[in-house]
Formats: sequence, structure tokens, C-alpha cells
Amino acid sequence: MDSDMEISLDRLPIKRLESIEENGAERFPSDVGYDDKRVSLIRRIDFAWALEEEDELKKKKQKKSSKDSAEQWKWKGMVENLQLAHQELSVIIDLIDTVQANDAVTVAGMTRPKPLPNEILSDLAVSTATKLQGYRNLGNYFKQSAKALEQKINREARFYGALIRLQRNWKVKRQRMLASNASNEGFTIDLSDSSLHDPTSGFRPSTLSTIRVDHDSAGMLAINVPQDSWYSLRFGFVGLNPIDNTNESDEHLDSTMGHDIPGTSEKQSASDDEYVKETHSLLREVHKSIFAEQVLFDMLNREAFNEGVGFNISGIRENFMEMSIGQGASLFVSLHPSGKNASIKKSESATLLIESSGRIEPAEGDYRLKKLGFPNRASYEIYLQQIFHEHAFGKAKDQPKSKSIRASNQTRKDSNSGLLDHFCLSLTHRIFSNRVLEHLESVVCKVPYLHLISHPTWNSRTSSWTVFMTVPPSIIPQGSSETQSPDGKRNLKMQFRTKVVVKDECISVEAECTPNVVGLLKSSSCNLFAMNKYECGVADLPVIILQQVASQIVCWLLEEARTVGTKASRDFLSLSLEIVEGERVSLVAQVNPEDAKGCISWWLVMENGSTEEREGVSESRKLLGHLSLDVLYSVLMDLINLCGTGRNALVS
Amino acid sequence: MDPQTQNTSLQRLQNVENRVVKVLELAGGVMEELASPSGPKKEFVNSHCREFMQSMKDIQVTLREEIKSACEYRPFEKCDYNARIANEICFQKLEYVLTQLDDLKQTAGQYPSSD
Repeated sequence: MDSDMEISLDRLPIKRLESIEENGAERFPSDVGYDDKRVSLIRRIDFAWALEEEDELKKKKQKKSSKDSAEQWKWKGMVENLQLAHQELSVIIDLIDTVQANDAVTVAGMTRPKPLPNEILSDLAVSTATKLQGYRNLGNYFKQSAKALEQKINREARFYGALIRLQRNWKVKRQRMLASNASNEGFTIDLSDSSLHDPTSGFRPSTLSTIRVDHDSAGMLAINVPQDSWYSLRFGFVGLNPIDNTNESDEHLDSTMGHDIPGTSEKQSASDDEYVKETHSLLREVHKSIFAEQVLFDMLNREAFNEGVGFNISGIRENFMEMSIGQGASLFVSLHPSGKNASIKKSESATLLIESSGRIEPAEGDYRLKKLGFPNRASYEIYLQQIFHEHAFGKAKDQPKSKSIRASNQTRKDSNSGLLDHFCLSLTHRIFSNRVLEHLESVVCKVPYLHLISHPTWNSRTSSWTVFMTVPPSIIPQGSSETQSPDGKRNLKMQFRTKVVVKDECISVEAECTPNVVGLLKSSSCNLFAMNKYECGVADLPVIILQQVASQIVCWLLEEARTVGTKASRDFLSLSLEIVEGERVSLVAQVNPEDAKGCISWWLVMENGSTEEREGVSESRKLLGHLSLDVLYSVLMDLINLCGTGRNALVS
Repeated sequence: MDPQTQNTSLQRLQNVENRVVKVLELAGGVMEELASPSGPKKEFVNSHCREFMQSMKDIQVTLREEIKSACEYRPFEKCDYNARIANEICFQKLEYVLTQLDDLKQTAGQYPSSD
């Protein structure tokens, strides 16, 4: 400071009146506080001199610089400006520090500097530009997320499309807790059926019954079921059906779930369809396996420990059960792992070719088996599944009605449902009735005028056939004494039936005109055509049938003879006509089931009956051989003609 | 293939997804239009916004319907697994009968016809 110190004089501290009111009260300005005094003092410091000095300095320096401008550093002016600015800033900073410290000076008020118009405009421009930039970014963001969402939708559309198609048929469940890990959304397919199983029986769902749904490499639905982990049911006859070989029906299922990546979208959708179908087939196989394993095999095992009439357990292994039933047969039921990699073991028993018709073509010359007539394995496999399924299903339907009350009773009953017994008895019956049929066929084939009719009985333990014989019509004209049936035809029998019914292993024959020796003692014709029912054994069946048929023929001939009026009588299998007093001629039937040409042969027997003189009756026989019914009838007519002199003459 | 009508639930939900994508695109378009240096064209913005609101309304209606119908269906109430097993058994029966018929046909074919 070069200038002289100036002295500024304060005003006298006279309090001046600020205002005066009407009532004379005077108001003085309030005292200024100490701080305020200091502030006002500081305000009065005039910094103008510093600014003037700086200006003077600047001018001097500018003069200096303009003088020696040639060698001047061109940044010097800027450096000086910066130094001056630095000085100003340091003053202001000191002031601000003092204000901040709050002990010397406090800020009384601040007014914002009024913005200049160009500043306003530039601010507005900047804010508008930022807003526009923001909008553009937002627009970009929206479009990008739209694209990303579209891609995601397309990728997942295949997965969810396939999942929904599977959901139409299977129970799909979701566990969101597990969804947080990896790429799995936690979907599972649940194949267990809680209604089929008795909850009190301690039933555990198998590990197969929940199948996880995964994504494969292309983002498509994939199901991984390890090979060999599911089973199929096998049923067969020991010694006949191979135990361990794979069935032909198992091989058509392709369990590889690999999926080729297709080229065009059309191929993709078509192969998606196939893919879903393959998955569906796989799920079907696993579902069937669960049924086979848990319902069927479980129930079989339980039933096995009950005493049954029809079967004896001869072997139990894991997933395998063998039992012997009647008629010398032995069954096995097993659970057999399926899938492409199932091992094929060679069975130790003799391999036999099995035709689908159920007849067995024996290899190695084992002809004994051909006569056994075992029924078709496949049909009984199906039957086994059906009866157990119906039973389980019926149990499931009853369960909701009476849950807790009868539960304990039910479990006791259920384990003794007798299904296995019934099944084995059915099988035994079938084998037996096949034998019966063979015998019947052997008889009927050889006799030309017999027919065999089978009757469906709709009962698995009953079979029934009819041996049917039609006799030639009568040539005897109708006499006036006979009654006429309303349709004008004669009331004579044209057909003879012999009914054979087999129930379990019991054969019963029912027919009319039975060759019953006892019945002949009554010897009245009204009993002739009575139906008679009796039982017989398998070995006797051919003979019995032939005897029955022969007896029916004899009765028919008897009836024909009697309508003419001939005195005729019947004795077991023979028909006797009296020619003249004491002389009888008889037609006698001889049955022989082993006879290849025809089983019934006829003999003509002449009896000369001079009863007083001789002891016995001499007779001469002539074998007529196998006669058809027409020929037999004409023989009868000839015989009647022989007898018929003096009686109704026959006009043929 | 799924039927191409609007009737399946899957189709409707697929449509909703596509609409959401479209709505996003509309929003992006509007934003870009607002950000255009020459100022937004009013009709453009108006039409897009109208379409946006309409789509939102449609989406809301469709989703509401679907959710209502989904809630009406109690899952796994009528489980048909029993019937499915019965079906499998019937299928096996059919296969068996077919083989028998084929055999019959073959046998009949071995005999010369009477014509």
C-alpha cells in the first residue's frame, strides 16, 4: 500500500429515530449485535484499491510486453491472467473459510445472479438434448428387449408346446423350489397312481414314477430314463416258452432319445411331432412297467402265500415266480427288463418254435408235447393282466366309499382275492378242455354223419360242445292215427344232439336216447327220448360218445319201425325185429373209436328161436360194415318188408 | 400339428406373448420418434399409443380369461391312469385278435375257393 492511509470516520453513535407512532411512542432501531458490527465493518473495507492496483500492474506489464513482443512467450498473458485469477481466488477462499468458520463473518443473504438470456437458452438446449438422448436410449432398449423376448419365446415355444402336448396325457407337476438351479424349471412327470394302491399296505412309489423333464442341447424337451430300468411282464409255460429271451414286441420301441437338428422349420415341426410321440411311447412303456411291477407282481406275490386249490408255488426268485398247476403244466411269471440294452440270455430249456396259433411245432422230436394242447401264451398273459387290473380298479372305486371303517377288513380280504387261484384253474381247465376237444374231433372226423359244434360259454372255466347228427327224412307216409303238427310236418325227430359240457375238469354228457340198460326194463317208448345227463372221464369219452350216437340211431330206427307197426324192440345198441314167430333179426351196432374208416359198424344177426328144444339160441351174424344213415334206413325198410307180409304194405 | 384356430389355450397364450413383443416394439418406436431431432410427428405418436393401449387391453383380457379357466380346473382331479392301463390291455387284446385273424385268413387262403 503506497497510498496514504485514509481515515474514515464513523458516524456518531446517535440513535436515530426509526419511527414514531401516533401515541407518541418512539421506536429506535435495535442495537446492532457485535457480529453485525463486525460484518458491517468488513463490508466497508473497500477492495477497490486492490483491483485498481491490479489493473495498473496489468497495464504496466502490457506496456512492457508490447515493447519486447518479439521474444515474448505467447502464453505469458495467460499466465498473468491466471496469476491474477489465482490471487482473487485466494482472497475469496480466505473469505469463505472465515465464513465457514463462522466466527468472524456470517452470510446474511445471497442472491442468485440473474442468468443471462444466452445462458438460459444454452441450459435449455443442453437439457433438451439430454432428454432426447434419454428417449433414444429408451427406444433402443425397448426394441432390443423386444427382439430378445421374441427369441426367447421362440426357443421356449418348442419346449412348452411339447410339454403341453404331454400334459394332455400325463400328470405334469412343477416344483418351483428347485427351479433356481441350472436350466431346469422344475417340471416332473408323475406316473404314479395313488388310487390303485392301498395306503395301509405300506406301499412305496417306485423311483420310476417321477420322471424329470430336462432341456436337451437344442432347448427342446428331453426325458432321460436309463435303459434297463423298466420292466415288462412275461408269462409262459416252463419248458415251452423261453424265460429270458426278449419278446418281438419289445424291439419295436426305439428308446434312444437323441434328436437330430433339422434344417428347415417344416422338418423341425414334423420331427417335433415325432419326438413328442416317441417321448409319449416311452412314458407309456414306463407306465406299463409300473403297473406290472407294483400292481401285478405285488399282488401275485401276496396271493402266492395263500393256499390255493389250483396251484403250487414251485419257485420264487427276484422278479420271477414259478408254479405248477394241474394237468402236468408249470407256469412262470416274471418281470423282464426291457430297453435296447437288455441282455439276452439263452434259456437252458429246449428251444421250441411257437406258432402264433398256439399249436406247438416240436423240435427235437418231442411229440409228446403236441398232445398236451397248451393254449396260447399271449392270451393268458393278457387275461392275467386284466383280472388283476379289474380287481385293483374295483378296489380303488370302493375305497372312497368306506375308507377307515373297513380298511382293516379289506386288507385281510384283499390278500385272499383268489385271483391267482382262479387264473390257474382257468388255465388248467383250458388245457383239459383242449384234450377233450381233441378226442371229440377224432371221433367226429371219422364218422361222416356227425358234426361238432362249439358253444362259447363266456366263462373261463366252462366249455361246451354239441355232437350233432341229422337223420334222413322218413319215407313212411303219414297215417291217420298220427297227430299232425300245425305246419303239416311229421312230429318225428330229425336231429339228435349230444351235449358235452366241461366244468373245471369234470365232463358231463347230456343227450337223449341214452344206452341205459336200466331204463330198458321199463321199456316204454315215452321214456325213449328222455334227456339224460351223466358224467364220464376223458379216456372214456370217445366210446361214450359213439355209444350215445349209436343208441340214438337205434332209437330212431326203432321209432321208424314202430310207426309202421312192426314189433320192434331195443336192447342197448341193437334193434330187433320179429319176422315170424320165434325168429328175430337184429341190427347191432359196434363202436370202436380206434377204427380209422368209421367208428360205428353194423352187424346183422339172425336168431332162430326154437325155445323148447334147444338150450341156447343159435344165431348167425353178418357184418354189414360202416353204413351211412341212408343205407341203414333202406336196410331197415327191407327188413320191415320182410316182416311186413300181412301188415301195412310199404309202397316205396 | 396343433389346430391353427384361436381356440386352443396354447394358441391364445402364444398370441399374448407375441403381443407383448409387439407392444415393446411400439414403445421403442414411440420413444425413437420422440427423440427425433425434427420433433415428433403427432399422428404417428398418437396412433402408436392407441395401438399400445389397445394391445394392453387385449392382453389383459386374454390373460384374465386364461387365468380364470386355469383356476377352474383342479389339477389331477380326474386321473385317467387306470383307464390308460385298461386301454393298454385292450390294445394287447386287439393285437392278439389281429394275429389270430391273420392266421385264419392264411388258413382260408390255403384252401382252393369253390368258385
